[in-house]
Amino acid sequence: MSPTTKTRIKRFTPLQRIFHLLLMLSFLTQGATGLARMYIETAWGKGLSRFFGGYDFALTIHIYVGIFMICGFVFHFLYMLFKINWKQFPGSLYGPDSILFRPKDLKDFFQHIAWFLGIKKAPEFDRWGYWEKFDYFAVFWGMIILGVTGLLMAYPLVSSRIMPGWGLNVAFWIHRIEALLAMAHLFVIHFFIAHLRRHNFPMDQAMFQGSAKLDTTRHERPAWIARLKQSGDLEGALVTEAMPAQRVIYYVFGFVAVAVGLFLLIGALINVSYISW
Amino acid sequence: MKKMTPGRLVLVVCGILLLAGNIFLPQPVSAQEEVTTAIRRYKEYEVSTGYYEEYEAKPRHQRPFVEVPGVRRGIFPYSPTAARVRVRTRLADSHQGLKFYNRRRCEECHVQETKDIHTTRANLTCRQCHGGEPIASNEHYFSPMNPIRRHAYVCAKCHEGASASYASYVVHAPNPSLAGTLQSFPVLFYAFWIMIVIAVGTFALFLPHTVLWGIRELFIKKEKTDREPDDKD
Repeated sequence: MSPTTKTRIKRFTPLQRIFHLLLMLSFLTQGATGLARMYIETAWGKGLSRFFGGYDFALTIHIYVGIFMICGFVFHFLYMLFKINWKQFPGSLYGPDSILFRPKDLKDFFQHIAWFLGIKKAPEFDRWGYWEKFDYFAVFWGMIILGVTGLLMAYPLVSSRIMPGWGLNVAFWIHRIEALLAMAHLFVIHFFIAHLRRHNFPMDQAMFQGSAKLDTTRHERPAWIARLKQSGDLEGALVTEAMPAQRVIYYVFGFVAVAVGLFLLIGALINVSYISW
Repeated sequence: MKKMTPGRLVLVVCGILLLAGNIFLPQPVSAQEEVTTAIRRYKEYEVSTGYYEEYEAKPRHQRPFVEVPGVRRGIFPYSPTAARVRVRTRLADSHQGLKFYNRRRCEECHVQETKDIHTTRANLTCRQCHGGEPIASNEHYFSPMNPIRRHAYVCAKCHEGASASYASYVVHAPNPSLAGTLQSFPVLFYAFWIMIVIAVGTFALFLPHTVLWGIRELFIKKEKTDREPDDKD
């Protein structure tokens, strides 16, 4: 298939892909530096922290990358305000192109499970599946929880002026559990859905190329394609395949990210009984 | 009988008023202050807070056989003097009288206190915060660990600018999952369990969901298309 034929349908803008890319890089850095400190009592954690310049410098990286993530979150929030279709507000928030949950997602969820069990037909997904919306808002709530507790702990002299110092004990545990949840969710569930299930194996290219194969999308998201066809926007949404060299980069990059994630996940699980909680 | 002069009448009335006031009116304001002299009141205050006082002054000597009614520690009545002798959290030397103390290590008794971040990660020794012998009890009036000066005398050695609020960080934090933490640090207990419920709930929902999904996709029948032989749909 030559890259001149338009076989793919556009799913993400370049800016959205950059958001994802920066989120990936910063999240992996936060996960690695955070686990390096949490596991400092083990050889695995010591080795990991050595990579980041030791126990203390790992924290410096963790704080500055964390502040970078908060800035990215604020920027994304402003971007979101610009992207909202204000003319049809608030109806546009619950339309099929919106990332917000709507009643159909709940129906899709149960129908999807019924399909897993062979009871019903597969649901006809529109542009965003409920699991994609969940992933988006998981990052949203995670950013707020981790960002707030992280800032409180990063500047304890300031934060203990606005709350009692024992609040940092609480912030520490909230930060820790939320971070472990986020890492486990990404390194197990998100990676499985994006890489390992048959529909996407070996890797979902949508977030890197910005587009998905039209044929497979027609199969997975028939409601979206039908809607585009009906409004006559389908032709305009089609794009060509990326250059082979680009695709190689995307694959390598994606698999490196998976490898780092699995390294963190497996190392953390193996050493979990050797640290004092 | 002499005739009652107006001056004498005023004196008699004032005397009667003074006597009546002394009997029926409350004590003068000075008697309502928080004082260490009135034995009963001081001990009630002490029992109710668990702290001696927030003032720097050491309370004056107490009478050893005056008890707080209904409050005992073991077989002993509770009194400030008894506390000074027997309750370790009030002693100037909190390890006073322990046998073979000079041959023992802190962690032999204080096991839980060795499992916090200050100890395991920052590698602080006990004495770096608690000081040399004799180690005064945290609540002893002149202890550096007393909450009224802990931030300045202990925390600020490393955390410059530490405030009293800052020093309320629980260094030897309890294990948040244990039921005992519900008593000693309820906010931590509830925050921990709420977060655990969120995390476990997410996985209880999405882990089976993802596994079933992965299995189910293996059984999709390939539709015959004339586009590409390896198309997955």
